[in-house]
Amino acid sequence: MTIIVTDGLTKTYGGGVTALADLTVAVDAGVIGLVGANGAGKSTFIKIMLGLLAPSGGSVRVFNLDPVTQTDQVRARVGYMPENDCLPPDVSAAEFVTHLGRMSGLPKTTARERASEALRHVGLYEERYRQIGGYSTGMKQRVKLAQALVHDPDLLLLDEPTNGLDPAGRDAMLSLIHRIGNEFGISVVVCSHLLGEVERICDSLIAIEGGRLLRADRISSMTEASDILAVEVADGTDELAAALEQRGLVVTRDGRMLLVPLESDEAYDRILHAVTDLDLNLHRLDQRRHRVAELFTTKETADV
Amino acid sequence: MTTQTLPAETPTTTGVVELSTVSRWYGNVVAVNDISMSLHPGVTGLLGPNGAGKTTVLHMMAGFLAPSRGTVTIDGKPTWRNPAVYRDLGLVTERESVHGYLTARQFVTACAKMQKLRDPAGAAQRALELVEMTDAAERRIETFSKGMRQRTRVAAALVHEPRVLLLDEPFNGMDPRQRMHMMELLHRLGDNGHTILFSSHILEEVEQVAGLVQVIVAGRLAASGDYRKIRRLMTNRPHVFAVRSSDDRRLAVSLIAEKSVAGIEIEATGLTVRASDYGSFTRALPRIALDQGIRLRQVVPSDESLESVFSYLLEG
Repeated sequence: MTIIVTDGLTKTYGGGVTALADLTVAVDAGVIGLVGANGAGKSTFIKIMLGLLAPSGGSVRVFNLDPVTQTDQVRARVGYMPENDCLPPDVSAAEFVTHLGRMSGLPKTTARERASEALRHVGLYEERYRQIGGYSTGMKQRVKLAQALVHDPDLLLLDEPTNGLDPAGRDAMLSLIHRIGNEFGISVVVCSHLLGEVERICDSLIAIEGGRLLRADRISSMTEASDILAVEVADGTDELAAALEQRGLVVTRDGRMLLVPLESDEAYDRILHAVTDLDLNLHRLDQRRHRVAELFTTKETADV
Repeated sequence: MTTQTLPAETPTTTGVVELSTVSRWYGNVVAVNDISMSLHPGVTGLLGPNGAGKTTVLHMMAGFLAPSRGTVTIDGKPTWRNPAVYRDLGLVTERESVHGYLTARQFVTACAKMQKLRDPAGAAQRALELVEMTDAAERRIETFSKGMRQRTRVAAALVHEPRVLLLDEPFNGMDPRQRMHMMELLHRLGDNGHTILFSSHILEEVEQVAGLVQVIVAGRLAASGDYRKIRRLMTNRPHVFAVRSSDDRRLAVSLIAEKSVAGIEIEATGLTVRASDYGSFTRALPRIALDQGIRLRQVVPSDESLESVFSYLLEG
């Protein structure tokens, strides 16, 4: 199911700054990563989808609704988690999420129930009755996610949800997003700079560069196996490299790994023979996968 | 939280930066508890959960904080109340505090003058070249992207060619291309013989830049050294490998006879092998496959990444 469609979407700010230039993309349901350089137009794209900004040209449809003219209907189906710290410090999470539930049009009691449920989903229990000002970064991120979920949307827009989290907090947030996408059946657009993170939780990816579409594809097709074998041994990498070359393989080094082109299945056997002859510890033997990061390594600009 | 402390495997020779039984407390709060570490030339990652004491450690190294107990030295000289130490030390703080109205060149030159360098303009030029900012050097810093600002700050910290560079969360807020660029820069500086310590939460990135890590958990040093070797020392955790071959089931039969194999699961996508002894298993596996005439297609360690090492350290 296609949830977001744009056609030649353009946004120019006063003063001639072009944030989006002729962006045409169709987004299917699922967990979608939105990546791009700082200033590539990600935030502008999100604001346009929410109906906070009107496009200067082209069109955008969210659930086949126009965010400019049908703003209320769009917002009823979309939840938004902003990037910056925007929570009031002197109310509790329970009060805050309930309040935003009522803003979305829920009756008082329903809003309270839904808030309670959303906070439980994100893993805030007794803490929810304390003032938000005393929360850790991880807890604040959870509150922001809960308020985006409170009105039971069909689509979540998350802007840098793991910003400022430590490894454990990141892990928890990522599995939560994965659950929302897969168990609750809510589509999620995740803005992130961490491509490893995107590879881990997203089904598909939209990369924007300079306001234009760089690539939109499924993650699985971007991380396909390549025809290069990576071999890693615990010690004796140099000896192994020499032994592999003796056996007629072309070897290149990449840090601790040796890369060997996989021309035929016989390469596997030659590597194995070389490893056992030298009595080395075989740490890794694997077809190299393409990585999403490759999108950004090709073109070097001075303006990085 | 209890943590297991693993023996440090770094050489016992004196490092460029030395912390010796350092503690730091704020009233009753113990932020850093009896930490000893030595840093050597190259890139080291400083890891730990939020509030573990990373910034306190960095600030003591930079001479901003006095240790409550123990000593912090650079080249044998204490960092506290010793401004001379800044000749050998560069620091990139987490919070940005640069004057936006200065151009990159003006800012870096000002830092060079502050260091009383003989040729501030030349030193600034060299530092800007090092971080590849010469093209934009005449632009005001406020017009820069986050990555360019960050690189200018690194140039300023490096202008007097210090041997030690400390960076607190240098990747924060950078986009993918800026991150790769910064990683490459740190790599290069480490190879040139600088002693670099940087803190970060993004373990995949630390893994790419630094083999050596110092892990602080709840104010204590939980582990230090090459994270791969740290993983080997956790002998109580079986090493998990994903193995695929031309005949998984037959391979599993032969493997289970190995003493070093603690368990095998057969799944549609291949075998999951838990090995109790890393050394003998990784040597035995290729031999067994060859003996049985089975073609090994994939051997991938599944819990060797810095991410798993870190979470094992936290669990204790």
